[in-house]
Amino acid sequence: MKMDSMNTLAPAGASPEVFQQLGQITRQLHDTLSQLGVMPRLQEAANGLPDARSRLTYIAQKTGDAANRVLNSVDKAKAEHHSISDQTRAMGAAIVADPVKAVASGAVMNFVTEVEACTGRIDAHLTDIMMAQDFHDLTGQVVAKVVSLASDLEDSLVKLLVQAAPADQASKLMAHVAPPDETPQLNGPVVNPEGRTDVVANQGEVDDLLASLGF
Amino acid sequence: MSNPDLKFLIVDDFSTMRRIVRGLLKEIGYNNAEEAEDGAVALNMLKGAKYDFVVSDINMPNMNGFELLAAVKADDTLKHLPVLMVTAEARKEDIVRAAKDGAAGYIVKPFTKATLEEKVQKIMQKLGAPA
Repeated sequence: MKMDSMNTLAPAGASPEVFQQLGQITRQLHDTLSQLGVMPRLQEAANGLPDARSRLTYIAQKTGDAANRVLNSVDKAKAEHHSISDQTRAMGAAIVADPVKAVASGAVMNFVTEVEACTGRIDAHLTDIMMAQDFHDLTGQVVAKVVSLASDLEDSLVKLLVQAAPADQASKLMAHVAPPDETPQLNGPVVNPEGRTDVVANQGEVDDLLASLGF
Repeated sequence: MSNPDLKFLIVDDFSTMRRIVRGLLKEIGYNNAEEAEDGAVALNMLKGAKYDFVVSDINMPNMNGFELLAAVKADDTLKHLPVLMVTAEARKEDIVRAAKDGAAGYIVKPFTKATLEEKVQKIMQKLGAPA
């Protein structure tokens, strides 16, 4: 905010010198923080916040998708299971009533064939439930990234606090500053693939890329 | 028909994913699989016993998948081993790097049972081993 604007905001009777002095102090504080290297780190950490939002949205979407996928597969598997139960009861009754007819009419063989097909479909649903658990790996990697972003922001804020604190308090605060993590970070799952040309969107693109390289 | 005698080593820091891959391999017909939670543990296991196939994640603590791949390819007794990368790393430069470093294949997560089956069969056929 410019000094002129500050002057116009000043309540009637307030001295313009007070606002000029406030402006100078603010500028001085900004310059000092910049010289101490706190502002760039704080800025960097703050820039990570939209990324953190995208990642949290990705986690919410992935967990929601996984839950729906599991519940849909459970519904389908239960329907197949009830079908087998019903058919088994009916077949039992048919065999008790007239075992020869049950076999001769082909009803027993049809039942066996249907049970086999049904269990195959149930198995496919169970595989789908198992595959849906991959959200744990994918979201786990994204959670680690968000934790790292939050930790960077916390460190920057604590350092800012240290600079502003009295000397006897600063050393206590420094104990809360974590040492920088030197581990090289990989990217993990792509949370925003739209419009990006440096990443693949599916397995087909991986195969095409490898084929283009002669692999 | 899969060769049930093939011995797999599944490397991933997430136990959920190790169980998924193991379960899928079983469904495909490979019952013999062991697990390691990172590249360093995997390398020790590979040096201590005979394996036929490695399925490895990339983003792991201690030793990541790229480092494991490099260690396997640098070891005369292990370099013949096919290493299939199964990872969420979707950057093209990571895929190219894995291929150049000697990975036998690259699957990007999330993936399907059909994709895993196809890649494993293809790699084994390429090596001339009974899949």
